[in-house]
Order: sequence, then structure tokens, then C-alpha cells
Amino acid sequence: MIPPEILFVVLIFAALYIAVVFFSYLGLRRMKRDVLEQGRDAKRHIYEIAILKEIGDRTGYSLNIQKILDIIVGSLNQFLEYSAVSYMLLGPAKIMFKADLDESVSPQFIKDIRTRMLGALSALSGRNLSGTEVEETITGAIMQGAATGLAQSYFNIPLVIGEQLVGVLTVSNTKPGLYKESEMEILYKIVNQASQAVTKLEEVVKTEQGKIAAMLESMLEGVVMTDTDYRVIAVNPAAKLVIGHKEKNAPTIFDFMDAFKGALDVRGKLEEAIKLDKILTIPEVFFGNKYYQVVVSPVKSNVGLTKGGILGGVIIFHDITHEKEAEKMRNDFTSMMVHELRSPLGNIKKIGEMMRSSKILEDKKVSSEYVSMLYESSSSMLDLVNDLLDVAKLEAGKFAVEKNPIDIKEILTERVKFFDATARDAEINLKLFVGDDVPDNISVDPKRITQVMNNLLSNSLSYTPKMGTVTVVCFIHKNGLAIGEEARGASIPWVLDNMSPFTTVIPNSVVIAVTDTGEGISTENIEKLFNKFTQFASSVRQSEHKGTGLGLVIAKGIVEAHGGVIGVGSKQGLGSTFYFTIPL
Amino acid sequence: MTKKILIIDDDKIFSKILRDGLVAGGNGKYEVVSAFDGDEGIEIAAREKPDLIMLDMVMPKVTGIEFLKKLRKEDWGKDTPVIVETQLSDLEKMSEGMELGVRGYIIKSDYSLDTILRQVDDILK
Repeated sequence: MIPPEILFVVLIFAALYIAVVFFSYLGLRRMKRDVLEQGRDAKRHIYEIAILKEIGDRTGYSLNIQKILDIIVGSLNQFLEYSAVSYMLLGPAKIMFKADLDESVSPQFIKDIRTRMLGALSALSGRNLSGTEVEETITGAIMQGAATGLAQSYFNIPLVIGEQLVGVLTVSNTKPGLYKESEMEILYKIVNQASQAVTKLEEVVKTEQGKIAAMLESMLEGVVMTDTDYRVIAVNPAAKLVIGHKEKNAPTIFDFMDAFKGALDVRGKLEEAIKLDKILTIPEVFFGNKYYQVVVSPVKSNVGLTKGGILGGVIIFHDITHEKEAEKMRNDFTSMMVHELRSPLGNIKKIGEMMRSSKILEDKKVSSEYVSMLYESSSSMLDLVNDLLDVAKLEAGKFAVEKNPIDIKEILTERVKFFDATARDAEINLKLFVGDDVPDNISVDPKRITQVMNNLLSNSLSYTPKMGTVTVVCFIHKNGLAIGEEARGASIPWVLDNMSPFTTVIPNSVVIAVTDTGEGISTENIEKLFNKFTQFASSVRQSEHKGTGLGLVIAKGIVEAHGGVIGVGSKQGLGSTFYFTIPL
Repeated sequence: MTKKILIIDDDKIFSKILRDGLVAGGNGKYEVVSAFDGDEGIEIAAREKPDLIMLDMVMPKVTGIEFLKKLRKEDWGKDTPVIVETQLSDLEKMSEGMELGVRGYIIKSDYSLDTILRQVDDILK
């Protein structure tokens, strides 16, 4: 028999053993469950990442939010149970509603989630959307009298792109108690990832578009781009200006076709460029009083799958009116020059002809007339050739002056004396004023200054009517003062109008000026006075005064070679002052 | 009977040579009057009713073409024969002149006085 004490101890040990085994079992079970759960979590996590990656890959670089949502909706059944997954997108004019059904539901179910989603969208956007048109697309089975009731479980995720609400994504189920916030993390993640990607992509595209738009806007050339169906997809302000398109909306290809009718077949050229994959250059199109060089080129993709493919065409309008004007001016200059040289030369030839054959030259008086004519013709030719040589030297930068200290008063007095007869013939009062403080040892090239004075005086005398006055003045200019004001202060006749405002910066100088009471010069012609081409054209064509018009161009060159400036003040109907300075 | 010729040219030397050449070469057939710009040309033409006008195309103020247009509007001037004087470089102006019934042209610095005289004789015979 076992003594009761020992039995007691044995029972206690047995109980302890059972307890240890039991608790160990419980512990093991918990551990096993934990491990299994961890494994499931890990698996689920990997799965989530895989799904996210798959969705990411499939949406790619798409900016089309609807396409992205379709992909998300299509992948959702892999990890979520639902009766319907649906989305609503806010369009500019209507709302897009799309539902994908996983089981057959009643029409009431659809109507219910549609109302609830519209309500959510209204609440989120702060706008009442109940009246907005909704375009509905349902995939799956709707059964009249289906056993299912309304949605018992329901979850909304707002769709936000670039901080702007674009729609709402909803999962719903006829079973109750599903879709707790914590379980929906994966859905949030997916939607977030998609919207972030789109937001970033939109930013990049916007920045790039902004760069291109800014470049297009600032281009002086008119640029129009079309797609392969000749629809205008980009047009810059310069291009609108070309066709005078003032409306706010972008012009169409028809606007360009109409505008260029008769001048350029816009559509035809685009077609040629796109179809033949060829860059076309139309060197000169005259349109709307302007000349354009027009380039029509196909536009090719240089990225992605479409690389090398033709996306459309571009037309570039380059305004070449200025170049054409300059070319015309050069041509005019040449032809006028030829005219001016040929006339006296032709006359000399004919005088020779007369002397050889005609008896009228036996008369002494007539014969001396012809000798004068011969002299006059050859002189005017020689003057012109000399002027041309001077201009050529000026342009080559080889115009040299030989300066010597000289009394400038002497030159002026001599010139006034020389022109006195002409002035008297024309009944013009010719006067000379020289300031007392003008030194008698100014360094100039007397021959060249005489040439300048000849030009200024002959111009003034020929543009001044009878009983008018031509005044030659010479005074000292002080740096910091305006020459016109200095003259006025000394009661010297001076035409201030249209004068350069920068005479104050001229260093201390001798100022020599010729003021007339002639017809004056218009503001626009003042600009042309010292330009070789324009001066020539206007002087020969628009006035009865003969001359090459090169005189002032040469005078400017002579004055500048002395380190001085030449300028003019003039008012139509009042007269003109031509002045030049020689630095002291 | 003498025929009256009007020369309208701003180049006084050419005008004088042409006048002397026509008078001398025509042996008294021609009486020549001169005008030195288009305005004066219209005035003298209206007064003198010339049988032929020698017209310079490049003149200040009223150009040759403008003169022709004015002339053709007048009853007395719409059939007056006109010889246009040009330079080689102005030949494009000729077509405009032809439309206004110009009978002939001379190239000022190239044609000899004899050639000009023959043309005048042809028109006025």
C-alpha cells in the first residue's frame, strides 16, 4: 500500500505536469497562430506591393484618369470582396458614372449607390451636383427582382489630383459589416499612388508645356502647328498677327487658308509636307503688305513607341519685309546712281555729236553756250564721282582729315562771300555771326570743313524761298549746357524742334550752324537725312533740287573724323538749323 | 507748214541739245517749245497744242506718267503723239506708257540725235 503522504506528493507532481503540458500546448498554439498570421501579413504585403506595381505598370505614364481608374477597378477583386465597385468623375459639363458588378444586383441597388455617390461628391466639392447630367456605364448583371437588397456595406475614397477633387471611388456590398477603415488601407494606397503619379506627371507636362508655350509666345516668327488632320493644335500670337486674327479663340486652319487665299495654298503645302515627309521653303510670299518667308515642315515624334512617326505639320512665317525694303533701297540707290551718272555722260556725248555734225555751232554765241554745257555736265559728273569716292572711303573707314591750327572765322567769311552771289540772285538775306570768344587756332582740315560748309549753305539756299534769311553762326559750347539753349541765350536764330536732347554731353567745342527760313523737314525725313540710301532716294525723287543727296552723309563723316557731331533742328513751315561741333 | 514739238524734261542741258538738234536737223520743218516740269508741260501743251510731245518719264513733282494721264483726259490731247524719253533702267515704265497711247520711246543717253530725228520725222510726216 502506498502511504497517503507519497500519494499526495505524486498527485501534486502529476497535476503540475498536466498543467505544464497544457500551458505549453496553449503557448505553442499561440506561437503557431502568430507565426501563421505573420506569414499571412507578409504574404499579403508582398501581394499588395505586387498589385501596386502591376497597377503602376499598367497605368504607365498615362494622364488619363479614367483609364487609370478602369485598371484599378479591374484589379480590385483580387483582394477585396464587393458587390459593386464604382467611380464617378467630374467632367466639365457632365459627370461620368461607371459601375462594375461582381454579382447580380437589383436596379434599386444601383440607383442607391449612384445617389449616395452623388451626395458624397456634392459634399466633398461643396457644390450641389444633383442637377448635373450623369453618363452611366454598368458592367455586370442587373436583375429585376434580384434577391439582393440595398448596399449594407459601403466605402468612399475621394480622388484628388493636384489638390483638386476629380471624383470618388466606391466599393459597396449587399452584406453588412464589411469595409472597416483599417481594412481599406490597401485601397487608399492604390488610389494615392495613382493620384500622386498623375499629379507629378501633370506638373512635369505643365512645366514642359509652359516652357514651349513661353518660347512660342515670345517668338517673332508666326508659328502654327496642326495634327495630321490639319486641325490647329498650337498657334502663337505672332501667327495670329500675320492673319490679323483678333478674336480670343484660336484660329482654325480655315482662317489661315482664307487669309492667304491667292498668295499661298496653306492647306496644300501642309499636305505636301506631311504626306511627302518633306520640309518646304517658300522664299517669298507677299501678304497683307508684308513679305514673308514661309517654312512648312512635318512634325515628327521623337519619343516612345511613336518615335519617327508624323504627328502633324508646322508652318513658320518669317517676316522679311525689312530685308526686302533694304534690298529695294540698295537697288534704288544703284539705279538712281546710274541715272545720275548716265544723264551728264549722255549729254556730253550728244554735245559732241552736235559739234561734229551741226552747223549751228558755227555761231560764236551758240558755240560758247555748248562749251558751258560741256563744262557743267562734266563738273556734275565729277562731283558725283568724288562724292561716291568719299562715301566709299567713309564706309571703308579710310576717311582721313589733315588737321592744322587755323582761324575758322576766315573759312566762314570766305564761304559766305562765295555764296553771296547765289543768295542775291535768289533774293535771300545771307548773314554771318561769329562769337568774340571763338579762338583763331582751331585744329581742322580747312578743305574738308569748306566742303561741309558748301553742302550746308547750298542746301539752305536752295530750300529757302525769296525774301528768306540764311544765317551762319559760330560760337563756343560749354559741356553741360544744351546747344540750342546757348544759341537762344545769345539771341542767335535757331530752330530747336526735333533737336537731339543729348547736346549737353558734348565736350567744350566750337559750334558752327546754318539756320534757314525754308520749308523745314518732316520728323520722319530728319531720320533719313544722314543715311546714304534713304537720303539719296528722297532728294532726287521728291524735290526739285538736284543733287546726289550724299552731301550730308559725307558732311557727317567729315565732322565725325574731326571728333565732332552733326545734327539738325527743324520745323515744317518754319525752317531748319544744321549744326556741327569741333571739339576744342 | 511747220510742226510744233513740245519737249518736257527737267534736264535743261538735254532739253537744249534736243531742241537745237530738232530745229537744225528738221531744216525749218519743226518749231520747238520747252517745258521743264510736268505742270508747266500741261500749261504749255494746252496753249500751244503741239503736234508731238517728247516726254521725260523721271521728273520731280508731276512725273511723266501723271502728265500722260492728265493729257489723255483732255479733248485736244487725247490723240497727240507722244515719244517717251527714258533711261535703260526705267524700261519697265514703258508698259505703263504704252497703255496710255505712247507712239515711241527713246533711250536718252544711248540714242543718237540722228536716230531721234528719224523717229520724229516718221511720226510727223
